[in-house]
Amino acid sequence: MSDIGFDLAPLDEIAAMAFWLALIVGLYLLARRFQQKVNGHPLANTVLLTALPVMFLLAVDKQAMLQYEPAGALLLWLLGPATVGIAVPLYANFHHVRRSLKPMVLALVAGSATAVISAICIGWVLGAEPETIRSLAPKSVTTPIAMGIADKIGGLASLTAAFVIVTGIIGAVSGAMLFNALGVKDERARGFAMGTAAHGIGTARAFQEHEVAGTFSGVAMALNGIATAILLPLIWLILS
Amino acid sequence: MRGLPMLALAFVLLVACNEAGNWLSDTLALPVPGTVIGILILLAGLLATGRVPEPLRRVATFLLSHLNLFYVPAGVGLMGYIALLRRDLLPIAVALVVSTLLAMAVGALVFRWAAKGDDGEGME
Repeated sequence: MSDIGFDLAPLDEIAAMAFWLALIVGLYLLARRFQQKVNGHPLANTVLLTALPVMFLLAVDKQAMLQYEPAGALLLWLLGPATVGIAVPLYANFHHVRRSLKPMVLALVAGSATAVISAICIGWVLGAEPETIRSLAPKSVTTPIAMGIADKIGGLASLTAAFVIVTGIIGAVSGAMLFNALGVKDERARGFAMGTAAHGIGTARAFQEHEVAGTFSGVAMALNGIATAILLPLIWLILS
Repeated sequence: MRGLPMLALAFVLLVACNEAGNWLSDTLALPVPGTVIGILILLAGLLATGRVPEPLRRVATFLLSHLNLFYVPAGVGLMGYIALLRRDLLPIAVALVVSTLLAMAVGALVFRWAAKGDDGEGME
């Protein structure tokens, strides 16, 4: 918490931080409006749409990086408490978990392990750098948890965040087609698999398809965040 | 504005759970990220209380609906890894596509298999 840069910061530093915060929030609100215009299309991702102009500004003006950093650190710090809030919808949907406990636990373990092990193996077989593989492993987990896991196993949190977002988009775009091809019609199964493999972005898509699918997807996302955080370090020890 | 202090308190509760989780994760050298422990602490608290206080529900829902804003610094941080991304582009692309499709297929098929004969309740 001490790296937010509040303590005894000169006035112009505070002004610079306020400027960057206002700029990022403004860009984010614009990106959100655009996303609503295109009916929540998964490719219109608000992280991408907000980060790209910020990256452009920082690339053009190297000095700006120093001024941007405290604002970036504050937003990143907020990710922690915001993620803890997942406990609230998880609690609200706890009766679903209790009623479909067996299929949920089995699908969770199978889906979670498949996501982690296949990503590690493909990365390794195709000769990716160790940091890349460590950053790929938690890609199916919701971003803040995935970044925490990447940190724990020696991956690069920023890289993981990008992989997570792309994973979510892939899942959201292809999920319905895949489930139809496999003949899986149970909305619970469709939603749960979507949330396990494609976290929040998949969950948003699942809600567009069916409310039951969306609910199960949200539960799967939260459970998979917890399951992967516990299982991945163990899988990592075994594979390495 | 009697509601505002309660909303602030709910936010402090989220921060406290997160910090407690981080502290436990660091102190006990656990492989699990502190935030996940924070989720479990709050979930245990909610299960013990038996209900979600309204201010907490509002703050949590608000923050969760704007989660993408808090990822932006991570997106910006990618600038530092362009060389690595370029070098590993093929394994990254293949791993992301194949692994995501595989995980979805396995998850859906296992769920359907395990749910056979349970309370499907006509959800198909």
